[in-house]
Formats: sequence, structure tokens, C-alpha cells
Amino acid sequence: MSGQNDQHVVRHLDLGGGQIHLMRAGAGEELLFLHPAAGAGFWLPFHDLLAERFDVISPDHPGFGESDRLEWIDGMEDLVYFYLDLLEELELESVHVVGASLGGWLGAELAVHQPSKVRSLVMVDPIGLDLPAHPVEDIFAMNPDELRAALFVDQQLALQFISPEPDLDMLMRAFKEKTSFARLAWNPFCCNPKLHLRLHRVTAPTLVLWGSDDRLVPLAHGEHYRDLIAGARLEIIEDCGHAPLLEQPDRTVAAIGRFHDELAPDAEERAR
Amino acid sequence: MKFFMFHLMPYPHLPEDFDERESAWVTLSNSNYDPTIGTGLYNRYLDELEYAEQLGFDGICVNEHHQNAYGTMPSPNLMAAALVRRTEKLQIAIVGNGLPLRDHPLRVAEEVAMLDVISGGRIISGFVRGIGDEYFSMSIDPSTSRERYSEAHDLIIKAWTTEGPFRWIGKHYRLNYVNVWPRPLQQPHPPIWIPAFGSTETMSWAAERHYTYLSVFAPSKLLKRWFDGYRAGANAAGYEAPRDKIGILLPIYVAETDKEAHDQGRQYVTWLYHKGLKHKFEHLFPPGYMTDHSWGRFLQSGLGAYSDVSYEDLVKQGYAVVGSPATVRERLAELAEELGFGLVNALLHIGDMPHDHTIRNMELFAREVMPHFRAQSAAA
Repeated sequence: MSGQNDQHVVRHLDLGGGQIHLMRAGAGEELLFLHPAAGAGFWLPFHDLLAERFDVISPDHPGFGESDRLEWIDGMEDLVYFYLDLLEELELESVHVVGASLGGWLGAELAVHQPSKVRSLVMVDPIGLDLPAHPVEDIFAMNPDELRAALFVDQQLALQFISPEPDLDMLMRAFKEKTSFARLAWNPFCCNPKLHLRLHRVTAPTLVLWGSDDRLVPLAHGEHYRDLIAGARLEIIEDCGHAPLLEQPDRTVAAIGRFHDELAPDAEERAR
Repeated sequence: MKFFMFHLMPYPHLPEDFDERESAWVTLSNSNYDPTIGTGLYNRYLDELEYAEQLGFDGICVNEHHQNAYGTMPSPNLMAAALVRRTEKLQIAIVGNGLPLRDHPLRVAEEVAMLDVISGGRIISGFVRGIGDEYFSMSIDPSTSRERYSEAHDLIIKAWTTEGPFRWIGKHYRLNYVNVWPRPLQQPHPPIWIPAFGSTETMSWAAERHYTYLSVFAPSKLLKRWFDGYRAGANAAGYEAPRDKIGILLPIYVAETDKEAHDQGRQYVTWLYHKGLKHKFEHLFPPGYMTDHSWGRFLQSGLGAYSDVSYEDLVKQGYAVVGSPATVRERLAELAEELGFGLVNALLHIGDMPHDHTIRNMELFAREVMPHFRAQSAAA
């Protein structure tokens, strides 16, 4: 594999009352990628790395990236039901899930609602837990400089993702995504206060990855996810902020790869 | 022309390093608020509003803002209650209750109806959404602001105009028994005023309902567009918008001479726009507070922060009127001609203005400016 798989297929699905933008590439078992609250709609280097091993399915959540906003989605539960519909639409019995930040929370919720649909779960710096002693920073109030400082260790790299001179399109898109995010996460802020009571329902093998220098979401959230999901493991990605898939794509995808290597024999075991 | 005296009741004693702070809102600690000073301020400010009755104003305005130094009336209905029993003729305009910020719109319906009944029908009921910062301060999802506002409005109007009890099943409010006691005295309900910030949706929404449309701080060339939009909305609804349903909010400072007015007024006007209205951009424009469409229009308008506009430009562009009685008469006439308003909400206490200057400002305005425009409307 070249690692430069620009051959991803773009589809526009009619689903839930609007058009959903979906990118897909690679071969192997299906892996659903659930993106974070910003920057949807782009096929990025980590997608290519994942596509070396998996059939990567990467939709833009409704109201993010190039997907339409669906008026009926105004909370995480709605988004979960949207994704259950999406899996049916794609005729997928179950998938591997990788979710980052907001997407990690969504992955956990999917695994709670329909454990059988999630073959394995990787959460990268997920929000979603209600931990009053370890508050998530108020991302809605941050200006671009503060966002770069909160999300990335490497501030030069951060400039590639959060431009110091955004054009009108970028500002419009950011507003659309923040609006959609607000509907999921303004209050209760970035969490489902009931989630910790439900995580015992998760049956998927679970890996929690955490940037060593995440200044947005405290590591305690990762530790709680690890402790609340049976058999889950927590691994730290060094030299990295809140967005390991952007800041350390090689290390992060390698960690996901090792997790799947370990799963494989289990699967054979179970098959026997 | 009708004249109302507007007051914001600011807390002028900001920390010395205020210019390095990001905002006078949301994050400016209330450790900067001294309640002992507050006692003096509230009572002084109420005295000033009450004095407007003696000076012959048509009414006075109170409004709602939360967790900031710019305006210390988190409950405008409380302020109206304090004023209702101390005045006899003035109309009291609450501009307005921040509907989406309330969990229960019937509290607004009840309180305003109480005030209307106690005052013998002198209440004007304004409805606002609250500004972006307040969605942080109250943790209300700004992306639901417009629909909460619209639903709360419909519910309140229905509660005032329909015999109860009735059932209300909405998206944000679900009530099995709506049966508001007391009913308002004014029929079908108190006049409604809508302060707005240039959203096209609001212009036609207000015009369709024959509500009074009020501007907020902006340069006159922008106000022209807003008022034209409201007039167009009225035309589309099949009538011509009367001048007295178009109101301008205008900081005004009158002194004996132009020089004196500017020497003193510069500080007050600058406090208002550069300190009181100092916002963090992300607080002022939270996600979903505007439609995507309005956000795009706003970005393209190139409208900057108030704090970037110099005092000279604030005066030149019509953010404030400052001068001798003759100058203020002239400028106000010019603006009225250009913009076509028939209602002036005069902010006669501005920023950190002391009591004596406020009183003199009110007196000069009432005696040397207002009569000129009253004579004019009487003649017309």
C-alpha cells in the first residue's frame, strides 16, 4: 500500500430527511470512523493509514462537513438513532468503530444502545462522561488562538488545521459545525450525565487512546472510560494534544493496529 | 415624536486593569461588584428614572442583562415593579424580557400582567432573545434561541388573549393548564416592543404583528437599512408602518456648549462602547444564535467591535449624539429625517456619568430639545 489512497469513494446518501456525505476507501473488515466536532468532510492522512487494513467508512454527521443539518437531531440520542439507521442503510450487521472526541462519545453511545452492532471500539480522547471534578474546557468560548493551544502540542501544525486567516467559506462551515455541536453538547455540557450508568452494556473489546498533553479533556475521562467498560485498555499517545489522529497519525493508527492484532486470535479462539 | 428615557444601570467601577480583560461580560468576576456601592447606585438610578415623569417624558425604559458590568438589571420586571408605585403617568417599557433565557414563559406572562394591572395599564412589554454572552452565562443552548423565543412569545400572547385554562403542547414548553391570573389590563394585551439587531427575519416578523421595532446601538447607515426592512415588512403585510412604531435607541449628552458636552461626554460615551460593550467575540456570537444565513450576512457586513470605533467616529456615525441643545436638536432632526423614526429611547445616563451630569442632561434635553419636536408633530 502506498499510504496515499486518494481513491476514496464519495457518496451522498438520502437519509433521515437530508443528504449525508460519506467517504469510503480500503478493503477488509468494515470500520466506521466517527469524526470529532470540527473538520469533518475531509479525507485525511489517518484515513489512508486506516484504509491499509480496513474498509473505512467515514460519514459526516448530520450538520457537519458537507452533510445537511437534520432538524430532528438535537441531542446525542437522536444522533445514535441516525447512525443505527445508517448502518441498516449500508446493510452492515456490525462494524469496528473508531471515534475521536465527540465521535468517541458517539461510539460509546452506539455500543451502549446496540452492543451487537459494535465489533470493537476505539475511542480517541472522547468527551461524553460527566465528571464535575475534571471539567472539560469550554471549547465554545475559545478563539482560534486558544483553540490551537488547547488542541495541539505542535503549534505550527495547529496552523494547518485552524487557519489564522480563515476565508468566508471556512467561517461559515465552522459556524455550521459549532451550531450542530451545540445541539449535542451545550447543556449538559459535552456529556451525557447517564452514560456512566450504562457503559456496563458495552460488550465490544475497547481501547481508549489519549494524547499525553490533551489540554481540553482531562485524562481522568480516559481513566473512567477504561474503568467503566469491562476489559477496556487505556494507552497514551506521547507528544500529542487532544487530536492524536491529526497530530500523531502514525503512532495512533499503529496503536489501533496493535489492538486489532491482539483481537484477531481471540476471534479465532471464539470461532473454534 | 415620543420620548422615553432609557437607563442601563451600569456598574461603572471597573478594575484598574480592565483594558487587559477580555470582556465586561461572562468572565469579569463579580468580585469586582461591591454591593455597598450597588445600594447607592440602584437607588440613584431609580431616582433618575422617576425624575423623568416631572420632566414630561412619555415613558421610561428598563431592560434585562445578566452577569456583567454593562447593565445590572437581570430582572427588568423587578425594576419596573420598583418604578410603578413611584410614578403616575409615565409608561414603563420593559425592553425586554429575555424569553429564551427563562425556563418558564408563563412567569413572564404573569409578571407583566401584574405590572400592567398595578400600574393601571402603563406597561409596554418588550421581548428579546438576550445577547450571545447570556447564553454562556445562563447555559441555554443558543442554537435553540430563536425557536424558544418564538414559542414563548406565542404562548404568552395566547395566555393573555385566550380564556383559560387551555393546554399548550409545544416543542420547548408543555403545559396542561395555562390560565394566567391576573389578566393584563390593556386589551388585548400591553403594547409589544421588539428591540432587534438587524435580522431580516425579525423585521418582517415584527411588522406582520404591528409591533414597535427598536434599533440597538449601530451606525445610522445600518439603522436606515433596518428601518427600511421593517417598513418593507409592513408594506408586504399590507399597511404603512407609522413613524411612532419605529424607535431609535440613542445615547444623548447635552451640555451648555458643544465644547463642554464633548469634554465631558467623551468619557461617558467611551465607557459605554469601549468598556461596557467590550465582549469576547466568541461570547457575543455563539453557535446557532443566528441562522447560517444571517451569520454570512454579518460576516460580509464587515461590522467590527464597538471598541474599535473611536469616539469621533461614534459621534460622526450616529452611535451617539453629543452637543449643545442647538446641536442636539439639529442632529436629532437630521437623523429623524434620514431614518424616519417617531420614537426616541434616549439613553441619558451613559457609562460612568455622575448623577449631577445625568440630571442636567435630562433637564436640558427635556426643556430645550423635546419641545422642539413635540411642536413639530403637533403642527404636522
